Amino acid sequence: MIEKTLLSELLSVAMSTGGDFAEVFAQREHTTGIQFVSGKVESILDQVISGVGIRVFLGTKTYYASTSNTTRDGLLACAAAVAGAVGEGSGHAVFDLTPEAIANRHTVKHYPDDVQTREKSDLLREACMAATEADARISQVKGAFSDSDRAILVANTEGLCREDRKIRTRIAVSAVASAAGENQSGFYGPGGGVGIELFESVSPRSIGVRAAHQAITNLTAAYCPAGTMTVAIENGFGGVIFHEACGHSLEATSVGIGASQMAGKLGQQIANAKVTAIDDGTIVGGWGSYNIDDEGQPATKNVLIENGILKNYMVDRLGARRLGLPMTGCGRRQDYTFEPTSRMTNTFISNGPDKNEDIIASMEYGLYAKEMGGGSVNPLTGEFNFAVKEGYIVRNGKICEPVRGAALIGTGADILQDIDMVGQNLKTGQGVCGSSSGSVPTDVGQPLIRVKKITVGGR
Amino acid sequence: MNFEQIKGILFDAAKQAGLTEYDVYYQLSTDVSATALNREPNAFSFGTEGGVTFRCALEGKIGAASTQCIEQEELTALVPRAMANALLVDADEEPIFYAPTKETAYGQVSAVREPLPEAVLLRRVANDLQAHIYQATPLAADGTETAAGATEVTVSLANAKGLSLSHTAAMRYAYAEAVINADGEPSFGVGTTGNLDNTEEIAKKAVEDALARLGGKPVKTGKYSVVFSAKQVRALFSTFGSIFSGKAAMQGLSLLKGKEGTVVASPLLTVYDDPFYEGNTMQMPFDAEGVPTYKKALIEKGVLKTLLYDLTTAKKTGNVSTGNAGRASYASPVSIRSYCRHIAAGDATLDELFATMQNGLYITEMKGLHAGCDAVTGDFSIECAGFLIKDGKKETPVKAFTVAGNFFELMKNIARVGAEVEGGTCGFSMGAAPALLINDLSVAGESE
Repeated sequence: MIEKTLLSELLSVAMSTGGDFAEVFAQREHTTGIQFVSGKVESILDQVISGVGIRVFLGTKTYYASTSNTTRDGLLACAAAVAGAVGEGSGHAVFDLTPEAIANRHTVKHYPDDVQTREKSDLLREACMAATEADARISQVKGAFSDSDRAILVANTEGLCREDRKIRTRIAVSAVASAAGENQSGFYGPGGGVGIELFESVSPRSIGVRAAHQAITNLTAAYCPAGTMTVAIENGFGGVIFHEACGHSLEATSVGIGASQMAGKLGQQIANAKVTAIDDGTIVGGWGSYNIDDEGQPATKNVLIENGILKNYMVDRLGARRLGLPMTGCGRRQDYTFEPTSRMTNTFISNGPDKNEDIIASMEYGLYAKEMGGGSVNPLTGEFNFAVKEGYIVRNGKICEPVRGAALIGTGADILQDIDMVGQNLKTGQGVCGSSSGSVPTDVGQPLIRVKKITVGGR
Repeated sequence: MNFEQIKGILFDAAKQAGLTEYDVYYQLSTDVSATALNREPNAFSFGTEGGVTFRCALEGKIGAASTQCIEQEELTALVPRAMANALLVDADEEPIFYAPTKETAYGQVSAVREPLPEAVLLRRVANDLQAHIYQATPLAADGTETAAGATEVTVSLANAKGLSLSHTAAMRYAYAEAVINADGEPSFGVGTTGNLDNTEEIAKKAVEDALARLGGKPVKTGKYSVVFSAKQVRALFSTFGSIFSGKAAMQGLSLLKGKEGTVVASPLLTVYDDPFYEGNTMQMPFDAEGVPTYKKALIEKGVLKTLLYDLTTAKKTGNVSTGNAGRASYASPVSIRSYCRHIAAGDATLDELFATMQNGLYITEMKGLHAGCDAVTGDFSIECAGFLIKDGKKETPVKAFTVAGNFFELMKNIARVGAEVEGGTCGFSMGAAPALLINDLSVAGESE
């Protein structure tokens, strides 16, 4: 994307005022987005994202400048802007870059740009029409197809010079069911770090049917009761509980500045012994996977919690400086306009010792949360929340009537101890996580788990 | 390359391709910010981001393509890309590009645009905020973060019907998050402002906020009356903002569909959409299609007056554009946006709201609104924090409970409206609202 000599020059300019480390990140990405509503392709987004971000460290202070002007003058101005922020002076260090090929772990069969947009819109139409036709009470279906082909280059003053290319594909369907002046909604949005071959393993039809089923279920559901109860959370996107309750608190972004409830707890028992949690950016074709992160570091399989004991944090380059720990290849950013920081990739609770049927059978009264929505957390206090999209009351060990409109809240430290049963049907679900370096694709996952006691925000 | 050059290249390429209806949208933004952490300067960032979208009509349909790579070859390539995309859209209406007439007049922006501040000023503000926080309390702890920054955005739009518009808006902000630690109990508080002047005030506010939260306890599960603070009212109305979209209504995604002229809320509620709201520095005289913007009542004394429309939705539904075409980003398809959502003041001070309520909750924080609210159904269940109100007086802090209800019912159940309207950003949009008293909401906390 940028010639080696110009990269070296940019690093020299960036370092000229006293920085101790500099890094150039270049990105060129083509994204396609298709919106489908009311039985029609409504619009198509076809966008080239192109720009560069230059970062300088001075100890743990960071200086960042970014630009979409990738002409030579534009890039030199960007480097000068970041240097000007660091201080005054004019060093002339020369940085020798060693371009290094990265092994590609994620083989793509059908690159998005090799597939006609019409084929993509046909896949989306199939998914949406399946939802529409699933039930006469489905009153509206909205669908979105998205793919991206993202090329990045990272070069830094340690001589690192690496490029990577990442493909992602997703279809998301929202279905609305209506009766008696009331609306209920359902959603399903699987994706992967793969090309259009995603739909060879996930049929578009199944996506629409699942979204419609959820909307119809909610239409017949009463409001979830409010109070504290035992909750079983299903696999797949249910893993959002770990993402919110604990994942964010293990990012160096908060740990490194002392603003996390998990700071200083390495080696301690922080969760029930049945809990092993992993952040794995190496999963082949994973939604949150990549070969190298946005700082040029290889993705890793990072065991965060093993049998309840805190083993590691997610550590980016700045976090490594702050914490004195090795980088874990988790420095991510939405795009070049953001400075990278430690982020999750594919984060999940591993399979445990309990049989799934035993988990439900163990519950005298409680909630079975089959599908989860998003949530949020304050890493300082560990207080988190997330939404239940499809839930059922459990009575005497049996899943009974559906309930809707619930949120689950708690604090990470408590919930990790209260996960007292872990099942064996590990599966992941796809989400988009928002934090200080923007929105990035992340997988969450777990098998069916039981939380002994949690506050259920019903009505 | 400036907008005139970009427009020249794209208009030429469009004419050569035989197109007669097209437009060019260009957005250039500059962001600058300084942050400080744990008493020390921490980070500085400066970014410029430009992007252009070309749209054209072909065979009665609209296609678009966008790029950030502003070079002759890439710009020219947008035209065939947009044409190919047009052919894939299933349109049922002729596309409309806005044709200005002699009578077309754009509103006057009253906000004074301040230049982007110097780095040294931003650093000083971020550092001063730190100093004020650590001076204000001996409990200040690691994690205390402060920031000062500014954004400048220029939007330029031209079409083949003679439209040519450009507008630059700018905003400044300062932010303080005070982290405190009282005998092992962490707490935090936030202060924000839309300028760089009153650092001491917002630092103090952040510290007071953090101290006030200390010792927060859950509440008992049950039905409660609730006063939402002005900031939380802004956030709620912003989260449910899409219910006012004429497009969402047309698509059956807003329960306000077909309710114009009917009572949809308490007679105490009046809501405006105001692109020229005083105190909003990001005022906008034209929308993403070039249509003039203006202030309008969405709800007046409980009656729904209008929904918001762009040109296409207006035509399909037999309305006229309300100047509310927007783009989520420069590359996004045209959709419906709102400007400053402004809820009119009522008659009660905060103490009077508490006195009216007698017993209940004062909600000063809501979290996870993006997940806990569903604008299609109106349902919400949200993690909250605030204060217990007993016999009309503010008492102990409360936290770790949810408040659940339905937004359409909430609008009808407004029992009293605060007199003090507070403006501020919520997400990327601006809002202004007073505190509201709502009766009969479900709260989940500790078991009975």
